[in-house]
Amino acid sequence: MAKAVLDALRGKFGAGILATSSHHGEDVAIVTRGALLDIARYLRDDPAMAFALPCYCTCIDYLGLEGLQPSAGTVPTAYASRTRGEGSGAPGARFAVVYELRSLVHGQRIRLKVPLAEDDLVVPSLSGLWPAFNWLEREAYDMYGVSFEGHPDLRRIFMYEEFIGHPLRKDYPKERRQPLVRREWTDE
Amino acid sequence: MSAETRADKEAPAPARPEAPASVTLTIDGMPVTVPKGTNVIEAARALGIDISAFCYHPGLSVVAVCRQCLVTVEGQPKLQPSCQAMAADGMVVHTTDPTSRGARRQMLEFTLLNHPVDCPICDKAGECVLQSLYFEHDNAPSRLDVPKVHKPKVVDLGPNIVLDAERCILCTRCIRVCDEVAGEHELEMKRRGDHEELCVAPGEVLDNPYSINTVDVCPVGALTAKDFRFTMRAWELLATPSVCQGCATGCNIEIQHRNERVWRLVPRPNPAVNHYWMCDEGRFTYHALREKRLVSPLVGGLPSRWDQALTAAAVALRAVLETDRDKVGVVFSPQHTNEDNHALARLARDIWRIERFYVGGKPPVPERADKILRDADVNPNRRGIRAILGGELAAGAAVLEEDLLEGEIKALLVLGHHLPLSDEAMARLAGLDALVVIADTEDGVTLRAKVALASASWAEVAGTVTNRQGLVQRMQAAYEPGGQALPAWEVITRLAQASGAALGYGSARQVFDDMVQKVADFRGTVWGSDARPIQLRFANSRG
Amino acid sequence: MAELKKLVLGRKNIEDLDDEQELPTELMTVNMGPSHPAMHGTVRIVLTVDGERVVESDVQPGFLHRCFEKESEYATYTQIFPYTDRLNYVSPMINNVGYAMAVEKLMGIVSEVPARAQYIRVIVSEVSRLTDHLTCIGASAMELGAFTPFLYFLKAREWLFELLEELSGARLTYSYVRIGGVAHDLTDDFDDRLTDILRRTEGVLAEVEVMLTNNRIFRDRMEGVGAMEASVALGYGLTGPCLRACGVDYDVRKDNPYLVYDQLEFDVPVGTRGDCFDRYLVRLEEMRQSIRMLRQAMRDIPAGPVMAADPRVTLPPKKETYNTIEAMIRHFKHIMDGIKVPPGEAYSWVEGGNGELGFFVVSDGTGRPWKCYCRSPSFINLSTISRTIHGHLISDVVPIFGMINMIGGECDK
Repeated sequence: MAKAVLDALRGKFGAGILATSSHHGEDVAIVTRGALLDIARYLRDDPAMAFALPCYCTCIDYLGLEGLQPSAGTVPTAYASRTRGEGSGAPGARFAVVYELRSLVHGQRIRLKVPLAEDDLVVPSLSGLWPAFNWLEREAYDMYGVSFEGHPDLRRIFMYEEFIGHPLRKDYPKERRQPLVRREWTDE
Repeated sequence: MSAETRADKEAPAPARPEAPASVTLTIDGMPVTVPKGTNVIEAARALGIDISAFCYHPGLSVVAVCRQCLVTVEGQPKLQPSCQAMAADGMVVHTTDPTSRGARRQMLEFTLLNHPVDCPICDKAGECVLQSLYFEHDNAPSRLDVPKVHKPKVVDLGPNIVLDAERCILCTRCIRVCDEVAGEHELEMKRRGDHEELCVAPGEVLDNPYSINTVDVCPVGALTAKDFRFTMRAWELLATPSVCQGCATGCNIEIQHRNERVWRLVPRPNPAVNHYWMCDEGRFTYHALREKRLVSPLVGGLPSRWDQALTAAAVALRAVLETDRDKVGVVFSPQHTNEDNHALARLARDIWRIERFYVGGKPPVPERADKILRDADVNPNRRGIRAILGGELAAGAAVLEEDLLEGEIKALLVLGHHLPLSDEAMARLAGLDALVVIADTEDGVTLRAKVALASASWAEVAGTVTNRQGLVQRMQAAYEPGGQALPAWEVITRLAQASGAALGYGSARQVFDDMVQKVADFRGTVWGSDARPIQLRFANSRG
Repeated sequence: MAELKKLVLGRKNIEDLDDEQELPTELMTVNMGPSHPAMHGTVRIVLTVDGERVVESDVQPGFLHRCFEKESEYATYTQIFPYTDRLNYVSPMINNVGYAMAVEKLMGIVSEVPARAQYIRVIVSEVSRLTDHLTCIGASAMELGAFTPFLYFLKAREWLFELLEELSGARLTYSYVRIGGVAHDLTDDFDDRLTDILRRTEGVLAEVEVMLTNNRIFRDRMEGVGAMEASVALGYGLTGPCLRACGVDYDVRKDNPYLVYDQLEFDVPVGTRGDCFDRYLVRLEEMRQSIRMLRQAMRDIPAGPVMAADPRVTLPPKKETYNTIEAMIRHFKHIMDGIKVPPGEAYSWVEGGNGELGFFVVSDGTGRPWKCYCRSPSFINLSTISRTIHGHLISDVVPIFGMINMIGGECDK
């Protein structure tokens, strides 16, 4: 039943769908940024789709896994040892924004992945279609630095405003400390 | 990580070789095309398939003694060792069928029969090939119900290596390293069956200059280096790629460090430079990183602040520059990176218009030179200085000594602390109007300096060095410099600033970019990316 | 402003207050939390109020953000269990189970988890669900002034915590579940103890129901407050008892049965209006259903192993570990390198105390996850608050916030 969703998407959006897969019984469609909004609207409004329940929105940082060639021979040292994976879905795209939706009426689930390059980390916001994505996209912005176009209130949600950097990125060191300390205190 | 360019323009371009013939074979249903002469195990690795192996090493001859890499080849009645089987067109190989899988499991069981339960105390734990292969390919419980064979546990093989004979799986990699890499036959196997044991050849000691490579290639913890054993656990270490500073060969290494302290250096494979090896002396160069380090600027031998020290240095040098410019000398350092030397050249040559150049560094050790890896020139970057100074190598320590004794020099700006001068010349240094030394060690010339400016050591800087072949290789910084030390190019930039000039370098990358523009020999070189140290526990086992 | 003070404070008699008189009003911005008795789990709500009525609100979570995802990227798959304990810390077993199932899905060993382990997981999940609902109703009642139900419920909760402490060794942060099963078997007297506790808990439920359900004050404060329509609620991603109170029959245990839920008989209570009172009723009835499920599970649980037989996920027995090299190596690689999960990504979801609790695990083939994202129902449920408290009084914020059951650890991760 869920294959029907992927088939319908492929049929309707053609070039907007980069790839689809159904590993572990989950339907994943890798879509282009340009087609995302139309696909989302279709998934919500079309009665055969009826994806009314948004599940989550997150981002994956594939730094170091972008090339994703199988390890090439020779004696592995620490550097040559990165293994394979699925990758972001598009070569050279370091990030992938992931949305998952659920249709209670039809009992289906779909995951949309949008591959994005590091210097072009913008994606249209889906918060206009499902209000749940308001906070979820703020979280992705806070943690990864993804900008959501059309988001009504794109600011940090977990970290304080003065925080510098996006902590869940792979090049943000876990040990870095950024304490917010107020030094001056005047009692006026 | 390693940037390469042919800086050496003297040799004629080699004749273009014919494209090697390639063969296409199928492994586990997946086709792969490899150059002719590749063995099946490497072809499988190109597909990402790990056929387990102990005795096979791409840098050593193939002996097929361990029988761990057995695979099924269609058309062959028996299982074939994939390290020995050459890939052929149309060959169909299976590695996951029950027969080859079973053979691998049996070999592992066999290997583990007499293996001591040593993991908690074995140095190799965490980077042990036996552990990895057992976990990936076998995982069956033990069926042994008799006592294990016991062998000597602490055998001193030589000045650097200790053998634990029980752990040895008899792969003979170490014997081949000594024979083929070092060219000295020092190790052998004695006895046979399950009493077979590694030992030194009669009358020999394992003391060739490449002995610690045997520890690298040993798949288990049988051979351990006295320098490293029991000091640090492999999975606690971070690895940063860099270049050995021991001599002009410039073997590619990994600095393995933790908590801002280097625990060992291991070679990184580079077919153009050092293949898979490095010499023992190079491995020990990390000890110097902790000896007599200069961590704060000194003025008159006393610790001082950076601004005070820089002002003192600038004032002292400018005084002499204004009156006797031709008596001011600058000493470049082949122990420092191209960026450091380039910054120095820009300041001394271009801004201050000094014409008296010298090159310091350690004196050559001719008895070292062998045709394998070790070079007589024990400085990593002499060629880089030649390129920076426009193709002419500046005068060496001997000329500097002469000039000093003749009173030709009134001031010196020295990069590095290695300056092989006689005691008399050293004494003359004290009489100079200005002696400014930029170094990371409080030894040698630094002890006589009026102003000593603390620079970061080679493990703490990102930069490039040019090896004897003319390859420009990239070093990465393992950790931040300790104390108040700064990278040498930054010290030079600040010195320029203190003296009223401006070099404008904000990062090593900027120095590099400037150098590529200005120095003809570096055209076309690429900085590459900055590598984060990777934790060894995130990596698969080494070896 | 001085005028205003005189008007409000200077009156001696209430009759003197002329309600025809226009009091000068301004919108006032008030800060509620993060250090506030009703903002359990530390959430800050910046309210803009007109008198007592909320005009605008800015809900600011994140004060308990402890970098669960970042830490997970540096820990082996087994080391993440203590982190999951601390997500929804009033129902930690459900977090453990949800995470274990996500990794098992990615490894493809879901069917290898033995039946006994599945039953145990269901039992401890339902016990955790009981503790979650007990805490929620108890704390919310206390915030409305009903202190006695709080103490009664926490007494019952403590019995359950004690039981789980006997089982796992820790009162709250169990880390009891493992990839491939559970860490060890149930204690010998678990059956008797659980039967006894369930009987007593039913008694407590009956007592508190008498105290609250027909209580005039309780109903006045909870009925009609914080209502949400089903379609709007779905758009906000609301799940769990809050969504079921709105009338949408979505429970992961029925919708996508996992473990042995398809073999247990239970009903899913569904409300009508979606207000706080309905949420309370749904939770109360869910507790009764959990007790029903627990009795069935204890009756039906088979004997057998509690860990998958797969050596890739199970530690070898200690006697073998100390005496054979094979088991030593296996133990070593498990602990140091972690369980090697094939590269890929998978999302697995369970019914948490607050809704659909999901774990999205991305693996790169090593023993540590590349990414381990938790779809936390508290976080998403909390985002509905700005809408539901709009137009209500400040004092309504308390039951609305309480009935969302926002657990800070899960919300802020």
